[in-house]
Amino acid sequence: MTAGRTWSRIGVGAALVGAVGLGLVAIPAGAGAAPVLPPVSAQDLVSSVLTAKPGPFNGTVELDNALGLPAIPGAPAQLANGKSTARVWSGDDGKGRLSIPSGADEQTLVSDGSTVWAYDSADRTATKHTLVPGERGPGQRSATDPAAAAAAALQTLGKTSTITVDGTAEVAGRPAYALVLAPNPSERTLLREVRIAVDAEKRVPLQLTVLANGSTDPAVQIGFTDLTFGPQDPSLFTFTPPAGTTVKDEPAPAGTPEGTPGAHPGPPAGTTVVGDGWDTVVVGTMPKPGAQAAPDQRRRDEGGAPDLSSLGTPVSGSWGSGRLITTAVATAIVTDDGRVAAGAVPEQVLTEALAK
Amino acid sequence: MTASLVEQDTARPTRTAAPLGRLLAAEVRWVLRRPRTLVMLGLFALIPIVIAIGIVIADRQMGGGLIGAVAGNGLVLPIAALTLSLTLLLPLAVTMSAADAIAGEAAHGTLRGLLLAPVGRLRLVGVKAFGVLVVAFLAVLVISVVGVVAGSLIVGGGGDVVTLSGTTLGMGEALGRVALVAVWVVGQLAAVGAVALAISSLTEHPLVVLASVLGGLIVFGVLGAIPALDWLQPWLLTSGWAGAADALRDPLPLGGLGESTLRALCYVAIGLGFTAIRMQRRDA
Repeated sequence: MTAGRTWSRIGVGAALVGAVGLGLVAIPAGAGAAPVLPPVSAQDLVSSVLTAKPGPFNGTVELDNALGLPAIPGAPAQLANGKSTARVWSGDDGKGRLSIPSGADEQTLVSDGSTVWAYDSADRTATKHTLVPGERGPGQRSATDPAAAAAAALQTLGKTSTITVDGTAEVAGRPAYALVLAPNPSERTLLREVRIAVDAEKRVPLQLTVLANGSTDPAVQIGFTDLTFGPQDPSLFTFTPPAGTTVKDEPAPAGTPEGTPGAHPGPPAGTTVVGDGWDTVVVGTMPKPGAQAAPDQRRRDEGGAPDLSSLGTPVSGSWGSGRLITTAVATAIVTDDGRVAAGAVPEQVLTEALAK
Repeated sequence: MTASLVEQDTARPTRTAAPLGRLLAAEVRWVLRRPRTLVMLGLFALIPIVIAIGIVIADRQMGGGLIGAVAGNGLVLPIAALTLSLTLLLPLAVTMSAADAIAGEAAHGTLRGLLLAPVGRLRLVGVKAFGVLVVAFLAVLVISVVGVVAGSLIVGGGGDVVTLSGTTLGMGEALGRVALVAVWVVGQLAAVGAVALAISSLTEHPLVVLASVLGGLIVFGVLGAIPALDWLQPWLLTSGWAGAADALRDPLPLGGLGESTLRALCYVAIGLGFTAIRMQRRDA
């Protein structure tokens, strides 16, 4: 009997170990205690971010999108709600590599500093794009690189925001300061605050979180889930189109398939900017009907032509009539005569801008 | 009472219990002598061949996904075939052998003889689990080997593999990636087999085992597809099963494959634990 009981106990033990192990695998390790770091002023932190030279690194970036945009046919899957990941390698001199898996396919961007290759495994096409001197590679300008996105946000919003350092946090296993940008009370915006986790040692932004009014969950969060600094294999930054690939040459910088996030492109021709700071409204004209989503700074510039006609709710006013598209952090109005107004603002600010 | 007597027997210096090696060999012979096992392995050999012919006939009209990646890229075929079979066919094979292992023996009345034999109950569970693992291993081996051969001969593409990241792998590394996926698939099947053995030890009807494991896998698949239940995903065995495509990325990301393997090992521990508990008390 005793032997039988022992074996039963082993069985129970094995089952328990399995169940506990399953829990450990399933439940992500919670954030540890906030690391203790020497205090730093917001000004020093911002300037150290702007001058930081992190050097080569590689990591994994996760985008958690809760904007509330419906899935638009023809638009990248990353625009719709949900999580997506990308792997980033960054070298010196504009060298970079970005891998964006989607299902059993993958889009790869490789920059060797002078040439950018975009490879799409779904249709096996490689697109070559030669950079004009001064233009920066995807490693610097892509939306999936939190460093560029956060640095751009800092520069724009500094004038109309209160910037504070709100304690510390641990992001991607690295101690970080939490830099918080909140709009001044006079700003009419949908946003509550933008939180940027800044690496304590390397002073690079590790995570960018956008919080909207009326919700405790982030509207958008993009950040590293794992990050390693150190020299990278130089072969990562070269690309040779493999056999059986359709190679396209794209001389004009018309944007990579993944899109340029417009970290700070300046208004394109034909658009006007109304207001400044958090309640900036961009008013423009549609290049062709339904060709472009709202040129919001936080949104990708979609090179294709997603069909927007079914989106939004009809609105009208003294400015005309059109369709109102709302997301958690931004609002856009596409008027029937082809104008677009968009911004991180409530509807009323948009209609005022359109009426001007 | 029987169990303790048996245990005392095995503890005696004069050996009355069969050596483990002979037990395992006997179990494997017993499993492989079943015609259904052999027919099943033969049918598995057809899967990569059918995919290869389909791709050649489709004349390289490439779509996305793993199947699309096979075109002109022969060594991707075993990975695509394994991924396709992992959704239902491979679990079916493993479950069938696990159902035969305990419930089937009980249905034939041969389990009683095994329980009375001078073999410890835990050892019996180990031997049965080994038999199931051998079936999983053989099925994966057949698909992989036939996949590599059919990929090279029918699909072609030389020994190189174009990865999803647009890089080219040499023959050696490509075969290494195939082997990695094969080992990973065996791990996932071991989890299915362990759970199937646990259910098998609870019943004497092999069909019940088959129905509950395959039904469970389908339910897992449905649960994994509901967006509101995405917090459930990390608990589901099936949620990492699309991850074999990771083996075709360059540089190789091991996170997804590692996590699903850990999850599978936990399922193995739970399944075998339950089987061991249940077999202590089983009479026939």
